[in-house]
Amino acid sequence: MTVRDDLAAAGATLVEDGEGIRVTPSSVASLARAVAVVRAHRVALRLRGSGDAPVNAPPSGVLLDLGSLDRIATVNAATGIARVEAGCSVAALESAVRRAGSTLGPLLPSVRAGSVGAWLARGIAGARRETAALSLAAILPDGRIAEGRAAPAKAVGPDLAHLSLGGGGRLCVIAAAWIRLFPATPALASAWSCPDVAAAVSALEVVCQRRLAPARARILVGADGARLALAWEGVESAAIERDRAARLLAATCSPLPEVPANWVRDPAEGHPIEVDARWASLRGWSPHGDLHLFGLHAGGSFAVLSLPEARAAEECAALARAAGARVIAPRRLRDSGPGWEAAGAGAAWQRLVEVLGVEA
Amino acid sequence: MGGVTGPLPSASARGKALRREIAALGVAASCEAADLWAASRDCSAGALLWTKARVAPHPPDVVAWPEDVDQVAALLRLAAQREVPVVPMGAGTGTVGGSIPLRGGIVLDTQRLTRPLEIDLPGGSVQVGAGVSGNRLEELLAHAGATLGHFPASLPAATVGGWLATRSAGLLSSRHGAIADMVLSLEAVDGAGEILRTLEGPSGGPDLAQLLLGNEGTLAIFTSARLRIWRRPRERWVRGVRFPSLRDGLRAVRDVLRAGLRPAIARLHDPLDTLLAGADPLRVPQPLRWLAEGAQAEALRLALRAPLLLNRLVDALPAASLLVLAFDGERADDAAHEGEVALAICDRVRGENLGPSAGERSLEALHRSSWAQAPLFAAGAFVETLDVATTWERAEALGLAVRRAAEGLAFVRAHFANAAPEGCAVELSLLGFAGAPAGEIAGASRDDAEADLEDAQQRREAALAAALSAVADEGATISHHSGVGASRHVFLRRELGEGIRQLRALKKAFDPRGILNPGKLLL
Repeated sequence: MTVRDDLAAAGATLVEDGEGIRVTPSSVASLARAVAVVRAHRVALRLRGSGDAPVNAPPSGVLLDLGSLDRIATVNAATGIARVEAGCSVAALESAVRRAGSTLGPLLPSVRAGSVGAWLARGIAGARRETAALSLAAILPDGRIAEGRAAPAKAVGPDLAHLSLGGGGRLCVIAAAWIRLFPATPALASAWSCPDVAAAVSALEVVCQRRLAPARARILVGADGARLALAWEGVESAAIERDRAARLLAATCSPLPEVPANWVRDPAEGHPIEVDARWASLRGWSPHGDLHLFGLHAGGSFAVLSLPEARAAEECAALARAAGARVIAPRRLRDSGPGWEAAGAGAAWQRLVEVLGVEA
Repeated sequence: MGGVTGPLPSASARGKALRREIAALGVAASCEAADLWAASRDCSAGALLWTKARVAPHPPDVVAWPEDVDQVAALLRLAAQREVPVVPMGAGTGTVGGSIPLRGGIVLDTQRLTRPLEIDLPGGSVQVGAGVSGNRLEELLAHAGATLGHFPASLPAATVGGWLATRSAGLLSSRHGAIADMVLSLEAVDGAGEILRTLEGPSGGPDLAQLLLGNEGTLAIFTSARLRIWRRPRERWVRGVRFPSLRDGLRAVRDVLRAGLRPAIARLHDPLDTLLAGADPLRVPQPLRWLAEGAQAEALRLALRAPLLLNRLVDALPAASLLVLAFDGERADDAAHEGEVALAICDRVRGENLGPSAGERSLEALHRSSWAQAPLFAAGAFVETLDVATTWERAEALGLAVRRAAEGLAFVRAHFANAAPEGCAVELSLLGFAGAPAGEIAGASRDDAEADLEDAQQRREAALAAALSAVADEGATISHHSGVGASRHVFLRRELGEGIRQLRALKKAFDPRGILNPGKLLL
């Protein structure tokens, strides 16, 4: 029996797709059956949800198109959790939760453009740098579904969600998730003039290390230095944090009288390159253009650098990597990460792959 | 429970042989009876009952004290070759029996893994050995003007390694998060003796650190960690806020957290503790005061023979609920400003500000009660503590369900703590009758002591099972921050469902010989 025969026997809706097969499961159960067949045949597997970049099935392998698994089961704004299937686009989820007065918060453009499953499988944190999913339903290689309980924290062994988060679908396939939400509130912003980009990044680092991280920030290079704009979004905390941050920023930067409208929220232009960086790497990396920052925390930030020309992206990505940052987008330059080998866990990884019966 | 083996464990032939081999590695080891006794128990209720009965049902064969990661690796390679169980143990402050060597073997005491502390104040991190105690760590950090922000009840004795192994959370977790949120990188040794050093900073692939944290010694043994630290706050603002009902109180805490505020403490008490924290404790019915004030053994035991009556008395108390709310800041006006904003939110949910003293009194009582369990056990009671968790919309129902499930078996007290934007922990104490007081057992025959112990363990296990079954039925998690250990593992299967297969895959990957803490986490 071929993988095609077994998929058909399992009731999968499939079509030829280049040199492989594309399967479009209509439910989590049908996804689970398809995963079991693909894993049993040990053929290459790709995943694609709503909003993800078009991709063909791998040669002799299977593309699982999760576009039909896009249901948003619940949105609970009071508790701040939404239950959503992995194929749902992040943009559609944001629209739905906005109608309930909530938001996913500021996210990287490449995250907003893709599916929930891709976001989680890439291991990219949420807007407040928390793990975006409170809990997951994951398809194991044998087609069984493992679902964790939604709780603010758990101490019931290792956090098994991390076999799926950041796994790129290699170990488990994410079927659905409980996603954290935040109250949607108007942002409060402030803007500052700094001597240069490095000074602006350093000022921002100090703010974040005092637990006053803004929801988003922007650094714009000018002839006479750098301009820094910050925006906070908490219902009650935004004003408190903005005012306290002002005390810190005043030590190295000068306040600008007015915050230009939408200055912090303007989308990145030109050819954006996205990285996950620590503060030190941002200081040395960023003088090439307009810088948008998301998911700011004490250790660093997601950063989107707008480049005037696409061909500069390779050079910038190389500089970012050399400074210890991880390149997230564009896709052609994306880092898969150093993996477990560099942590001394290469043997454990090989055993894990063998036990689960998945491709290395 | 397992069979009673006698008052003091003696060295086994396997233990003596292992001690020689371990010593040949340059690692200190012992088969002395006192060491085996000490390594055979923790602070779980079941183990404290063993101590009252003076028995050691699960002694190790040998105890070893490695001093660095290389010694740990050498020890684990030896154990893997010999296929001998290895159980890591810190200070033994766990409350779920996680470090009890159920199958004997080597207890690897981590308390000498105390490499010099490396504090990086500008970078906001500290590199610390797994054997360093919480108190010592905080002392050293305080000297440098910093804090980890991790203050579990076990702080005076517990080790960093124990926190990592159980995904610990402390009193200030609403502000600082749990220990898993503080980890920048980890050093550990897996069951094959491989040294693992997780990478700090942005990385791709599954997060190795998050897959090792909370493994309770079943996948790897932690030897050190780099943790996030913060400037030490200079000021604390504390208030007590009384709500007409628990539901109002829960809603207020949820709204405070959802508004983006991060209190250092947001701890909501049940009606009994609310009354006890008030100005007039005489309003508390007499049998309940015996429990709360640690009355003499006879009165306590008398009251605990009728747990249903005690629980019904609590049901009849005014339904008021006290919230202890605290904010930390570098400046007094910073902490007070956040506090006043939070009070305004409480006011919308009928919260009455009782001022600083109500909150401070309650916090003092909390610190006292953390170490008040041993006298209760000696008096003939058991105290089983549970920290379960769920999302906000289910929290009240969870507390009620556990109370109803266990009310005929133990006196139930509940606090709602470790508040997060999505939910909170429900900390439960099950106080029950556990037979004769320690003084009486000391003079009893071995048969009588064993019978008393067996009866006490059955009562304790029945109360615990009833409570955890209710937790599972409610779809909540059976452990927020204490781990699973030996006492809760029966309910882990319901918690994880098919996830147990993922756990077993991790076990085979990191501990192919199955030597690490066998019998825990269903592994």
